[in-house]
Amino acid sequence: MQIIEEIKNNELVSNPSEIQKICLDKLKLNPLPNVKSELWRLSNKSKFSSFLDYSHKNKESKVCIPYKNSSQNIIRLIIGENSKINLEEENYSIKELKDSEIVDYIKKNISTFDQNDHWSDLLNHCLSSKKNILGLNISGNKIPSIEILSASSSDSFNAKTLILFFKQDCKVDLLQINLGDENSSLSQSTYLCLEENTSVNHGVVSYGENKSNLLNSLNVIQKAKSSYSLGSLHFKFNYARFEIRINQLEGDAKTIIKGIQITKNKDQIATYTKMEFNGPNGILDQVNKSLADDKSHAVFEGTIIVPKTAQKTDASQLSRNLLLSKNAKIDTKPQLEIIADDVKCKHGATISQLNEEELFYMRSRGLTLEEASKLQLSSYFQEIISCIPVSKDRWNLLDKLLEET
Amino acid sequence: MQSKTKELNPVLEVNNLFASTEDLPILKGVNIAVNPGEIHAIMGRNGCGKSTLSKIIAGHPSYKITKGEIKFTGQDIQSLEPEQRAQSGIFLGFQYPIEIPGVSNLEFLRVATNARRKFLKKEELDTFDFEDLVREKLELVKMDSAFLSRSINQGFSGGEKKRNEILQMALLEPKIAILDETDSGLDIDALRIVASGIKKISNKKTGIILITHYQRLLDEIKPNYVHVMSDGQIIKTGDSDLALELEKYGYEWTDNFLKKQ
Repeated sequence: MQIIEEIKNNELVSNPSEIQKICLDKLKLNPLPNVKSELWRLSNKSKFSSFLDYSHKNKESKVCIPYKNSSQNIIRLIIGENSKINLEEENYSIKELKDSEIVDYIKKNISTFDQNDHWSDLLNHCLSSKKNILGLNISGNKIPSIEILSASSSDSFNAKTLILFFKQDCKVDLLQINLGDENSSLSQSTYLCLEENTSVNHGVVSYGENKSNLLNSLNVIQKAKSSYSLGSLHFKFNYARFEIRINQLEGDAKTIIKGIQITKNKDQIATYTKMEFNGPNGILDQVNKSLADDKSHAVFEGTIIVPKTAQKTDASQLSRNLLLSKNAKIDTKPQLEIIADDVKCKHGATISQLNEEELFYMRSRGLTLEEASKLQLSSYFQEIISCIPVSKDRWNLLDKLLEET
Repeated sequence: MQSKTKELNPVLEVNNLFASTEDLPILKGVNIAVNPGEIHAIMGRNGCGKSTLSKIIAGHPSYKITKGEIKFTGQDIQSLEPEQRAQSGIFLGFQYPIEIPGVSNLEFLRVATNARRKFLKKEELDTFDFEDLVREKLELVKMDSAFLSRSINQGFSGGEKKRNEILQMALLEPKIAILDETDSGLDIDALRIVASGIKKISNKKTGIILITHYQRLLDEIKPNYVHVMSDGQIIKTGDSDLALELEKYGYEWTDNFLKKQ
């Protein structure tokens, strides 16, 4: 674990920034997460080691956009490659945060971090240089779709940070794409702050190449009357971990989370979600799907926290999983922590295989087993894909997925 | 007991068929032959093996043939996959049509129709041509085109599901159609629509097997032969009057045939 050794020996960063110093100090004493804790116990140790084995000093990433440039009105940003962004249009504005705002915001967050819970963010802030931090203030309600790309380079460890402030009444589609190159590790930490009456439709699409690894952390703060919808897809990683923490700060907000992770070969992909309601009348609709083939391992752990202040919360969390091979493994653990006494909360988990009767029905109409399986999988994916703000001419995600599976 | 009606070149021939599922014997020597243009009805108590027979002919992987043979247009089909049987012209109308959320009915019907057309060496239909064809067939079962944009059978009423089965039969133009309790769960009007659809589709080249409990379907579609099934065997075969006798005397009456065997 090259990176951990460098942290211990004070060799990780030569001229650390203020944030890097704070995080390095925190990690120096205890450089690794507690592997016995609930959040880390299922993490494959050798894969986690390989995640930390790449040097972050090799080279900067270069994004190869995986599709043709679109004629559509899209604002495309690449973390680490863009020059200044300052858009002031009639209906909207997108402006870069000042360096001091970024530093203050991250420092404020770090001060509240539990080291084990936010280990991924701490590591990210140790390694993410100023160039690789993108911070934006976004306001307006006729904003073109925003697409933000983040990538790793082969034989390297790259860390990228994204901070987005959505101002009051803002309404936007945001697509985040994380691309893992061959033999690489990418650490992506994202912070979204939704002010009152904002509506953010957020897609996260992460896919890698041969032996790429990803640590993807997403922290969302929602103020009252905000609406946040997340559609996520993770596939083709040797090791990937997606941590989602959403806090409805004052309640009275709506959150939709629809995610899918697809594992093949000996991959391990895990999703951890923590949804906190800190006020009344909050709504959550969450569905997480895993599809595991070959000898792969998919993990989902989701926690919903409903304290006494969060009366009239209406939350639903479902984990629906498909095992495509007898050697694949799926661990799932949806859980509720409820103190409030006037709430509607439900959760559940299913693990099944492709439905034999559905397959026979389709085959009895002349569809081959392959065609029938493809149709069945396509319906399985559709529920999630439809929540990702992706335009069809750029991304035919469903076709890509079906090719892969 | 033999129940063969073998005369010309049967489109379907089941000879001394024994089959089981999870080592439980269900079919115990079934014989039946259906010629082109013939309509056969199979009646019998619940659990006597009627649905199993239909699924085995369609190639359901959960059942194992332990003895006997199934011939379709003279060829043994035991080694064929369900889709190969369907493409070559075997159609099973399900007793409980399966709901498949998220899969568009229209797309499913198009892929299925093209699979059959490919086998028949006919030109495959693109989306536009297929829509023309399917709208014409919808008329047969009085279905609204809105059904096409929904997921397969999802949220359909019992009657709508059965009409969707007959629509599929109309599109696939099978050589043998086995309709497993197509009349169950239908009100009088829906039964007439379904029966009328079946009559319009049936022709001199297609054999039909109706699996049913009730005379009311046979009032609409008069069968050439009626078979009574009991404990995995066909124990009596007669003409359409046999169904009337069954309606009058019940299945206890047929137990006597078993005793005489």
